[in-house]
Amino acid sequence: MFFYYMDLGWRSIKKTPYLSLLMVLAISIGIGITITTFNVYQQMNTNPAGERSTQLFAVQLMSQGKDTWPDINAQITYQDAMNLRQSTIPTRQIAMYKTGAAVQTGDANFQPMLENIRATDSDFFDLFSVPFIYGAPWDKSIDVDAAYQVVIDADLNQRLFKGENSVGRELYLNQMPYQVVGVIADWHQSPKYYDLNNGPFSDPESIYVPLSLAPIEEFESWGNNQSWNTENIRNYQEGLHSETHWLQYWVELESEQQVQDYQAWLQAYVKQQQGLGRFERDDARGEVSDVQAWLDFNKVVPEDNKILVGLSVLFLVVCLVNMLGLLLAKFLKRAPEVGVRRAIGASRLQIFAQYMIEVAMIGAAGGVFGLLWAWMALSLLTSRFKLGEALTQLDLSMWIFAPMIAIVSTLLAGMYPAWRICRTQPSIYLKSQ
Amino acid sequence: MLAMKNVSKIFKTDLVETHALRDFNLEVNEGEFVAVTGPSGSGKTTFLNIAGLLEGFTQGDYFLDGVNISNVSDNKSAAIRNEKIGFIFQGFNLISDLNLAENVEVPLRYRGFNAKERQRRVIEALEQVGLAARMKHLPSQLSGGQQQRVAIARALAGKPRFLLADEPTGNLDSLMARQVMALLENINQAGTTIIMVTHDGDLARRAQRNIQIVDGQVCDFSLYQGQDLSATKEAHQQVNIANKPVAV
Repeated sequence: MFFYYMDLGWRSIKKTPYLSLLMVLAISIGIGITITTFNVYQQMNTNPAGERSTQLFAVQLMSQGKDTWPDINAQITYQDAMNLRQSTIPTRQIAMYKTGAAVQTGDANFQPMLENIRATDSDFFDLFSVPFIYGAPWDKSIDVDAAYQVVIDADLNQRLFKGENSVGRELYLNQMPYQVVGVIADWHQSPKYYDLNNGPFSDPESIYVPLSLAPIEEFESWGNNQSWNTENIRNYQEGLHSETHWLQYWVELESEQQVQDYQAWLQAYVKQQQGLGRFERDDARGEVSDVQAWLDFNKVVPEDNKILVGLSVLFLVVCLVNMLGLLLAKFLKRAPEVGVRRAIGASRLQIFAQYMIEVAMIGAAGGVFGLLWAWMALSLLTSRFKLGEALTQLDLSMWIFAPMIAIVSTLLAGMYPAWRICRTQPSIYLKSQ
Repeated sequence: MLAMKNVSKIFKTDLVETHALRDFNLEVNEGEFVAVTGPSGSGKTTFLNIAGLLEGFTQGDYFLDGVNISNVSDNKSAAIRNEKIGFIFQGFNLISDLNLAENVEVPLRYRGFNAKERQRRVIEALEQVGLAARMKHLPSQLSGGQQQRVAIARALAGKPRFLLADEPTGNLDSLMARQVMALLENINQAGTTIIMVTHDGDLARRAQRNIQIVDGQVCDFSLYQGQDLSATKEAHQQVNIANKPVAV
């Protein structure tokens, strides 16, 4: 009967093309707007760390002085980063910050270009599960004894070395030669949870250098810096020992016990530092947050966005109410036919099913058109309002989700009209036709 | 086969109660061709609707094949209509979007027959009414008489035990009416019980039994069947002329 009802539904849609189109338009606009806002919301709300989310922890220290801001810092100082490295509890741990440099190759004709760089430790790649195309991270020993080695991304490898295996080849950062030890695949975490300083949806860096080179090459921080203390910083080395927060620190803790041990270690570290005259506040402490907690702490999804999703759902409801009225008008016009069908043996349930399938067909068409609207709206957001592509990319799940929500919501809207029509008293219409 | 005992049907509004049927008693036997006549508003259609399970009734009992079906559920009554009862309406009531074959197929769809069985029955029913060659035509492409024959084919396709016909020739000219009536007689001779509501005395007389409904009750005139009533009719007309008001 399902295909029979589909056939009847299709005939009915064809019989009233303008009314059907109006209904498809109503539902598709509602779906289009809902999907657009929901897509942006979902892209913001994604936890890209996946199952690793509960093993990766951002480390925070309440290290600022009295009478400063009341919130725990998102970043730590260089001296704290160096101290935290002393802990043997984490399976892996890394410090890092964003910097940048002019990039050149040995080719004299190559036009130098400015690239974003991440100064970090060797474990960065394993900790965040970064896939390699060629080579591997630099050796761990380089985190202590600096060496001029780099890992670059596939895009830069394409631009510099035409996509060939560039391991062992040389490039220049600020005119200093570096050896390529690895090329990573296209790796774009959205949100960029490991460093939310320059916007959660900013592009990843194309070059990774050992953090141990920072004191030597004096790579400036290209991220946000925070300092609570008025310090007279005269050179880079003084900056390294200042109270300026500019590094991110992540640890990998694989068990609950490990988490507890590390938290205890952090509290001991805070106490030790207090003993040395730092961490002046009474509520000085150390904290770890897994990826989801970290995203929440940094308010990656703004409240406004949630309100926007709510409003778009309300708009969808308005579209559905309109559709309910149109369906009611359309179905009740066919009461005489229903009277005949009921007289010759159709049960109420069969009539209800017939009309609900017609509604579902309208909903499915609305879902497809809604996706089209959403795709157009997201493209518009990218081109006109310069919203990052990471946010405006139509998520794959939406291709299933949009028609599904369209069908389910239209079915809800169609229930009352279908219920009304299935309760048609046949005898009223049989005589009057 | 069909028996109604003390069936009453009251239509109620806030202000009035209308007794469409009152203590209505009727038995129809298997294979009978019963014509139901009566003045407008006497309850003929209400009786037919109740007989066809299209409407409920206020009190009494309705037996079909010996089973009391007075209080069957909506689903059950739909199933009974589908399996046992065929309907023929004055306005044909064909579904305009469906071609003849699809129209005849509708009750078979609800019965759950497979495609092969449906096709066999559709062809058989349309052949019976002489329209098999036009099965792909839409109802709008047929004359009134042909449409009524399609409606009869649709009623016959499910091989019902009895047919309920409500003014089946009401919208047809006399030639078409005679053709449709002949078809119904053939169907009855083949064993199907027919109850036909009509205003046409000539057609009613062709039935085996005549039932007149007056004020929602049965007046069985089968006793007068075969008698010459012309004298009574003439006398009745004379009385009417005598009582006609005269302008002063």
